[in-house]
Amino acid sequence: MSKFVVIGERIHCISPAIREAMAKRDPAPILKRAKQQLQAGATYLDVNIGPAESDGEELMKWAVTTIQQAFDNVPLCLDTVNRKAIEAGISVYNRSKGKPIVNSADAGERIENIDLAAANDAITIALCQKHGIPADNDERMAYCQEMLERGMMLGMEPTDLWFDPLFLVIKGMQDKQLDCLEAIKMFTDMGLNTTGGLSNVSNGMPKDIRPIMDSAMVAMAMANGLSSAIANPCDLRLMETIKSCDVIRNNVLYADSYLSI
Amino acid sequence: MPFKRTPQKFNAAINAMTLGTGDNAVTIGGASVLPLYSFDGDIGNAPKIGVEISDLGLEGECVGMTEFYAGASTPAEMAAKAEKMPGADFVCLRLEGADPNGHNRSVEECVEIAKAVAGAISLPLVIEGCKNNEKDAELFEKIAAALEGKNVLFLSAKEENHKSVGAAVGLAYAQKVGAESSVDINLAKQLNVLLTQLGVKAENIAMNLGSAAAGYGFEYVASTMDRVKAAALGQNDAMLQMPVITPVASEAWSVKEAMVDEADFPEWGPQEDRGVRMEIATAAACLACGSDAVILKHPRSVATISAMVAALK
Repeated sequence: MSKFVVIGERIHCISPAIREAMAKRDPAPILKRAKQQLQAGATYLDVNIGPAESDGEELMKWAVTTIQQAFDNVPLCLDTVNRKAIEAGISVYNRSKGKPIVNSADAGERIENIDLAAANDAITIALCQKHGIPADNDERMAYCQEMLERGMMLGMEPTDLWFDPLFLVIKGMQDKQLDCLEAIKMFTDMGLNTTGGLSNVSNGMPKDIRPIMDSAMVAMAMANGLSSAIANPCDLRLMETIKSCDVIRNNVLYADSYLSI
Repeated sequence: MPFKRTPQKFNAAINAMTLGTGDNAVTIGGASVLPLYSFDGDIGNAPKIGVEISDLGLEGECVGMTEFYAGASTPAEMAAKAEKMPGADFVCLRLEGADPNGHNRSVEECVEIAKAVAGAISLPLVIEGCKNNEKDAELFEKIAAALEGKNVLFLSAKEENHKSVGAAVGLAYAQKVGAESSVDINLAKQLNVLLTQLGVKAENIAMNLGSAAAGYGFEYVASTMDRVKAAALGQNDAMLQMPVITPVASEAWSVKEAMVDEADFPEWGPQEDRGVRMEIATAAACLACGSDAVILKHPRSVATISAMVAALK
């Protein structure tokens, strides 16, 4: 019954402006996107620094302190395959507004990111995959169990593993969408938290279609219990849908101005 | 297996709000646990009790009241006695006489009364209007100006007059604003949103969620307050973390049990005792549901509720 957590996805090194800002340690473009996303209703901000093989640790530290200092210790999701960079980021992270999120662990090569999260009292996104896309929900659930057990053995709260069912692109994998929704339902029934890269579903669709498809998907996923998503909070239609679904799910008390808060 | 007590902890708290100034200031709210759950954690400031007096004096009041206020002929003189009532934390002046459908006392006259009352007491002051939206808006603006700096709480801004009351009381004169919603949880939140969007700081707003005398639909009051506290603490809803202040006297003393004459219902016993019981039962229920302050009028009710608060805090 807690409010849906939007993890804003717009600080991502795939964007040329952000990549350049990260390379030059120029805070302005990063803080601008952070501000836009927070004003639009993001709870967490994802900070994707890419693989950052050479200077990942220093870059993540810089990004974490720069963003947290500018925005009252906003909670962050540290997104890179560079494990040392995530650890470095956590070492300077202020958790007064929420634990850091490790983005991400999976049941394959990245399973040790669960150990990293456990050692640092962090949340981790737990991608239900090992080698490529899971074939069905039996496979998803097996990975879920594997990661859940590992986390719990290391003393984590089950609710600190946020399971990602792996949202799949509709153009090409249309027949797999209901599986994904069913997986969310199964995780939710186990009392677990869920998240995922929502905009995957509309990948490759025309720009004007994407907010519609993302909104429909988030509504159906929230009906099944989805508790968070990595998404673009600046997508007004999507945010209006999420806020409305939060009301319908009784996650947030309704008031006439609910869309503007 | 031994019993393991698990305290219910929240990462949220009710806002603390200070009324009045200096040594006699009173702070309400601040709890980070459910109402009176001191066994779970910090209940913040123990609930506070306001003593209500009316600008209409003691018209129609019972013996216990007239005896207590004996010798006081003006609201200011009554206020001086009210603040000495054992258990009183603040004084509440109710300007009933301003009602255009009643005595229709002028705004100027009310301002003078309010100033005299404020001058006669050292405890914090709460001003209650006459429940006529337009008149209250006018009254509150002028009184807020006259009592600037005294940190007075005004009851209340309603949906119909929140803009003028919020702008005058909350913004122009930096006093405290009560937001009144009559047992309507969605409106309670909406009013807080509207007042904050107007520019009134969340920490300067208290909620009057409405009440009902015990037995007169109190279950709606209880479920409303429960839901407000659940959202404020469990969902960290900043638009419901304002402390709750509940005027109890006006509700409790206006129901049949408190009003009918002993001659008509001899088996019910003395009228005054019944009124006091209604007032105590309602106030105790409000505090258990989440009121951070209650407003009472009878000395026996104030003493009883004060003892209850002292025993539970």
